[in-house]
Amino acid sequence: MELSDYIIESRKLAKNSSMRDVRIAFLSNFTINGIAETMKFLCFKYKVYAESYISQYNQYAQDILNKSSGLYHFKPDIIFILLDIENFFGDYYYFYYRMDNQQRGDFIQKKFDEIRELIKFLKKNTNAKIIVNTLLIPNYSSRGILENKQDLGIRGGIYNLNNMLESLSVDSPQLFVFDMNSFCSKVGYEFMRDKKMDYLGDMKISPSALVKISFEYMGYIIPLMSMTKKCIVLDLDNTLWGGIVGEEGIENIKLGPEKEGKPFLDFQKRLLELFEKGIILAVNSKNNYEDALEVIRNHKYMILKEHHFASMKINWRDKVTNMKEIAEDLNIGVDSLVYIDDDKTNRELMKNILPEVFVLDLPEDPCLYPSAIESLTIFNLFNITDEDLNRGKMYADQNRREQFRAETTDIESFLKQLEIKVDIIQANKMTIPRVAQLTQKTNQFNLTTRRYQEEDIRSLLESGKHIIKCINVRDRFGDYGLTGVVIITKCDNGGYWDIDTFLLSCRILGKNIEFSLMQNIIDDARRAGIKKIFGRFIPTKKNKPAECFLEECGFLLDKEENEEKCYTLNIGEEKKNNSYAEVIEWKL
Amino acid sequence: METLKELFARVLDIDKNDINDNSSPNNVALWDSFNGLMLVSELEKNFDVRFSMNEVMMVKNFKDIKETLKKHSITEGIEG
Repeated sequence: MELSDYIIESRKLAKNSSMRDVRIAFLSNFTINGIAETMKFLCFKYKVYAESYISQYNQYAQDILNKSSGLYHFKPDIIFILLDIENFFGDYYYFYYRMDNQQRGDFIQKKFDEIRELIKFLKKNTNAKIIVNTLLIPNYSSRGILENKQDLGIRGGIYNLNNMLESLSVDSPQLFVFDMNSFCSKVGYEFMRDKKMDYLGDMKISPSALVKISFEYMGYIIPLMSMTKKCIVLDLDNTLWGGIVGEEGIENIKLGPEKEGKPFLDFQKRLLELFEKGIILAVNSKNNYEDALEVIRNHKYMILKEHHFASMKINWRDKVTNMKEIAEDLNIGVDSLVYIDDDKTNRELMKNILPEVFVLDLPEDPCLYPSAIESLTIFNLFNITDEDLNRGKMYADQNRREQFRAETTDIESFLKQLEIKVDIIQANKMTIPRVAQLTQKTNQFNLTTRRYQEEDIRSLLESGKHIIKCINVRDRFGDYGLTGVVIITKCDNGGYWDIDTFLLSCRILGKNIEFSLMQNIIDDARRAGIKKIFGRFIPTKKNKPAECFLEECGFLLDKEENEEKCYTLNIGEEKKNNSYAEVIEWKL
Repeated sequence: METLKELFARVLDIDKNDINDNSSPNNVALWDSFNGLMLVSELEKNFDVRFSMNEVMMVKNFKDIKETLKKHSITEGIEG
């Protein structure tokens, strides 16, 4: 599809009630018509309805600097700033070398300060994520072969400016830099610029490239809307290796550092790299279990080993059933799964029966397998936490835990012998990214399913009207990391507290840890002289596990409106529940 | 390959039967300067031609598009 197709198709899209909203602002110094329609179309596929705001032609700075501009009225969730180098540098794009070395240095600094001021102003006045691009480095220089011998030549100058921009984003959870030069090296300079469109309509980016940029921009929408995928489910024959092990045998399958085996090895490397970033891997294959396991355990070049797979379904049952079981085993929704299989029939089956699963259309030629992984934007996160990096080890810990459980006689002695320790920590600078991530990712044990970005959590903390605590859970087999959050709205004048958010990651469910955390909140309330705690349960498709929790703690149902249940706990009337954890509260 | 009228109707969101030689930015609601550019890029793709900037600037109505395509020796799909 081309830009004009997206414009035409987007006119037909109608919002329906099951969709979520996202508000996208585009600010630019050149014509970007069509990008909003393209993004709307792409978002629609994820059941997200995009409303957009586009700054008037080249009015981006005025929009940003005027607090009562349309931009701020629009209340964007995310802001894409697109800057073209030629319009940004003005005449100096052509006459850069009229400036001497000193002037060039000053000019680059001045242009950087311009962007920095705009971003600073935006950060002060909105919580929206801000995406700004690096400036495109031109491929022409009047200095020709001497260009890179110049002191701060035009390329070197822009390169420096881009570096400063990237440094600005490093410590900011709100600001992200889209690297236009790396995008350009992917699609090509010629493809990216269509001079005729430029001269006729100031389209500095060609219509086709604008479509490609929209695809890249989806890489920011996905984490914004908490749609990041968690697990890759893999077929084996002709996917992780070439050939069919059941027919050709372990010695004849294609996998290794040479020729036909190399794409498969590289493909596995890409997958292993994702595993090390925190993506869970699983297997769903029609095969004899022993044949497949022999390859996984004993093939010299099989770099994905048993311990990398959190779940392995290798059998002759249908793959859809396997898929559902994998989601159950891992305690995640099927909408968190990505399915990779070389067989088109299997893929179509999966798309039809489990449309929530992201099915990768693997190219026919294995040479293109590694690039198919590289093109995915669905694993993007705004922040990689320690919990993400240690996920692989956590699943290995979990396997040992399950073995131990099989050896113990009853659940109670199992929980006692786990030696669970719960550290309760006030949310702070270090933990805010993970707290925000948990509100976005936790679906099952979550009373209200309210999603927060890092900026939101920070604002709540700064208001002084909220208590935000999180828990870190350990047991004799290992550390689960930060896995629970509670947010309380204090209404001390009214003599009550209100539970805004109470959630536990699925990793630590079934251990009665929720009761320890609630007890801690109740104790706090009592000490603060509070008489009542309000709580509510807002049902979603997935949070059934939390439905009875408030009642179990002694909360009384006040009323039910729009399926939402409102509860009150009178302090002193709470119910005690068995808790097996040692609780350690950290006052920092 | 689309016919010229099909393409024109699709990009500018109008009925094929409402197109005539005099159709122009003055009487077609969506034919603004940006959609004019979209029309150019669609025509180039569909008929496998490249227009010069001057050719684009000279187009004032539907008839001009036909004439320009004819100059590029394109005959198929532009009448009717």
